[in-house]
Amino acid sequence: MTRLSQWWNERLPISGEQLRELTNEPVPNHMKRWWFCLGGTPAYLFVVQIVTGIMLAIYYQPSSGTAYESIRHITQDVSFGWYFRSIHKWAATLMIAAVVLHQLRVYFTAAYRRPRELNWLIGMCLLLLSLGLGFTGYCLVFEQLSYWGATVGSNLMDQVPGGFLFKQMLLAGEEYNEQTLPRFYILHAAIMPVTLILLIAVHIMIIRLHGITEIEKVKAPADDQKGYFNFFPDHILTELAMGLVLMILLSALATIFPATLGAKADPLTTPEVIKPEWFFYATFRWLKLFGPTFAVLSMGLIVFVMFVWPWIDSLLVRITRNKDISIYIGIVGVLLIVGLTVWEAAVTH
Amino acid sequence: MSLKAKQLLIGILGLIFLVSLIFVQWVEVIRKQEESGVIAHHVSIPDSSQSCVKCHGDLTAGIIDHWKNSTHAQKGVGCVECHIAEKDDVDAFEHYGKTIATVVTPRDCARCHPKESSEFQHSHHASAGNILASLDNFLAETVEGNRELFNPHSPTPGMDVDMVNGMASANTGCLQCHGSKMALKTKDGGEVTVDDLQPDDQGKPTNAEAVARILRNDKDQPMLTEASWPNTGIGRLNLDGSRGSCSACHSRHDFSPRRARQPENCGKCHLGPDHPQKEIYEESKHGVAYRDLKGHMNLDAHKWVLGEDYTQAPTCATCHMSAHSRGDSENGGGVTHDPGERISWTNRPPISAKMDTDKNHAVIKETDPQKRQALIDEGGDSWQAKRGRMKQVCLHCHTENYVNSFYHQYDSFVLNYNEKFGKAGTKIMGALKSHGLLTKTPFDEEIEWTWFYLWHHEGRRARHGASMMAPDYAHWHGMYEVAERFYMELIPQARELAEHAAENGQKEAAQSVREQIEDILARPEHAWFEKAKKEKEAGSEDAAAKTADEDSEVENS
Repeated sequence: MTRLSQWWNERLPISGEQLRELTNEPVPNHMKRWWFCLGGTPAYLFVVQIVTGIMLAIYYQPSSGTAYESIRHITQDVSFGWYFRSIHKWAATLMIAAVVLHQLRVYFTAAYRRPRELNWLIGMCLLLLSLGLGFTGYCLVFEQLSYWGATVGSNLMDQVPGGFLFKQMLLAGEEYNEQTLPRFYILHAAIMPVTLILLIAVHIMIIRLHGITEIEKVKAPADDQKGYFNFFPDHILTELAMGLVLMILLSALATIFPATLGAKADPLTTPEVIKPEWFFYATFRWLKLFGPTFAVLSMGLIVFVMFVWPWIDSLLVRITRNKDISIYIGIVGVLLIVGLTVWEAAVTH
Repeated sequence: MSLKAKQLLIGILGLIFLVSLIFVQWVEVIRKQEESGVIAHHVSIPDSSQSCVKCHGDLTAGIIDHWKNSTHAQKGVGCVECHIAEKDDVDAFEHYGKTIATVVTPRDCARCHPKESSEFQHSHHASAGNILASLDNFLAETVEGNRELFNPHSPTPGMDVDMVNGMASANTGCLQCHGSKMALKTKDGGEVTVDDLQPDDQGKPTNAEAVARILRNDKDQPMLTEASWPNTGIGRLNLDGSRGSCSACHSRHDFSPRRARQPENCGKCHLGPDHPQKEIYEESKHGVAYRDLKGHMNLDAHKWVLGEDYTQAPTCATCHMSAHSRGDSENGGGVTHDPGERISWTNRPPISAKMDTDKNHAVIKETDPQKRQALIDEGGDSWQAKRGRMKQVCLHCHTENYVNSFYHQYDSFVLNYNEKFGKAGTKIMGALKSHGLLTKTPFDEEIEWTWFYLWHHEGRRARHGASMMAPDYAHWHGMYEVAERFYMELIPQARELAEHAAENGQKEAAQSVREQIEDILARPEHAWFEKAKKEKEAGSEDAAAKTADEDSEVENS
């Protein structure tokens, strides 16, 4: 046994002590609250997406002639194909929801303030990448709504100066063609996930460097006076429990509400009702309210403002001398997004 | 929460997750069992049909069982969804609080399947009910039966027979494939059909007088005539103006796509002496492969796409209707409910014709090439395009050169039949008719039966045999019998008719028919027939002339 551990230590010279030190990041006590797991949740769901995505990629064929049929094959013929596809679909929904909730938590607890502005920027990139993954994944199904959703989405780019270049890059031409699906596929299965992994690594690295934000307003449970607790095994067990709850939830959703398959994309027949995935409902309603050019430009501005919010916030605090000013603005923003989403969900057109 | 409590919680959650995976495994097993037919599919009975299923489950258990095994039942499409009618439909009646109709027409199916219904309405299948003026119909209604009721010869022991229905042969024979003209009984003992009702675009009757005449029973239900119903003929003339019956191929209540994909389904009508497509297919290598590999052909597949779901063998549906993987915007590739979209010859008439069709999907009879092309260009469809579509099917298993050479053989075969026998026979029969050597009544003279056998039975067998690669049908059951019928029966009978005409003083007519026959027989393809006889006769005449000369010389000397 001694010889074995010696052999191992020679090849991987990390001692148990070092490992303990590395993993025993002191975690602030407020993290004992279960609802402070929203950072780990999307990361966990992303791992689920990688595993199920690899399973689906074994059968998926990214061309307009074969994509739909390969999805049908996965859903109807392949053993457990329906299960993995449904898990992938539901995990995508939950991942985007978790990313949004995580971002809201960070926003409302002002965790983006100095010195964590850079991590906020990375977080914004992670949010946009998650939405991009959702969009491209939906397009890969090549059913009527995903095809027309992609067409509408790409046509929007024409509305802004220089947008046609981005559209051409995305569609591999001026309109949807044979090369479009392979491009979506590469974006969805390679470029975006790899970027996401790299950004998550930097995101976590910065968290480790700064330490987790201590939140004054959230009191630790009464039984603990230390102020900190160990990442391992305390917090990791919490995350594991959350992971299991998520797996049970995903499994239940996949079985009770399995992913369906609509009619195959038909470029000659425009569906009567075009709706994107739920996470684009607010932007879609915004688009309907204000017309393409204004909507696209204003949404671009909103995203820009969100990116630079840590600096805007600091300016606002200085001007108003009110530390909670961002919270009030945030409440208005959230109500607006929720309102637009519910509005779009409630109407047929 | 203490570490111990967390560990316990994780243990419990892990167990729940394990249970959820076991549940997923159970769902998968059930799915596979349903797919392989080990257990019945899950059935969801919509609220609207709960009472129908309950009552008819006892009354007509078969109907409900068939429906339960259908895709409709899995998707929650119940009885009312198909049988529902509106109060102003002529065949509608109230049935336990629902307005329904007995007969479900393609117009009803179009509520959910508009594309399929539309394709079918344009097909030759849908016009199969228009056989009122055809020879086949005359045979069944007059030759085999009688258009009016007639008195029995003598009593039938054990049965009171007042009158005999002479239309029975047509109703039970022809119309079960071609489709009946649906009729409702009237108060005056007659009937109303689509001709009387004159339905509008929505299938609603526009002739109030005809509607008022409809007889209703004590349950206030209109009554279909026994002659027109039951009937699932593919060209049925429905009361709402639609044509055909989807259940002709898909069967009633279980609406099985699997069944419609199998040649046995087409064999209800496409068999027998006059169009034995089913037997021809069975003799071909396609049919042989099908019998051998049917179990591997994935007949339950959702879309059943050739090249994706199966490649083992083609069935009738594969070539003429089903989806395939070589589709593009020009050649289609999706499933079609108009088999004519892939057929380039029509071998139905005495002389085969190219399947150029006009915008109304009717075969173009125009002979001027420019006018013909104009009709194709105005929304029609050319035989070349149709052949192109069929070739895309063939190309899944054969090379282009192979397919092109097959079509060369097929075209040559049809042209040989057309030019040697089809057109020759048509000319002889035309000459006999135009000179009044035949009565106007069909089938009252032997030569009319002879000619009918030649093109309608043997000629079609030969051409269909060639079209579907069945050599025995092309030759022995086909061209051999055509030739025998032509040389040994049609020609002698035509000559005999001419001879009788000459004896009866119709010398010009007789001469004209004889000339027509001799012109045909003098053609190179028929020259073999009486060559030896003519040479022999010519030899005899020479010998006779020589003898006469010798006699004359003797007398002179």
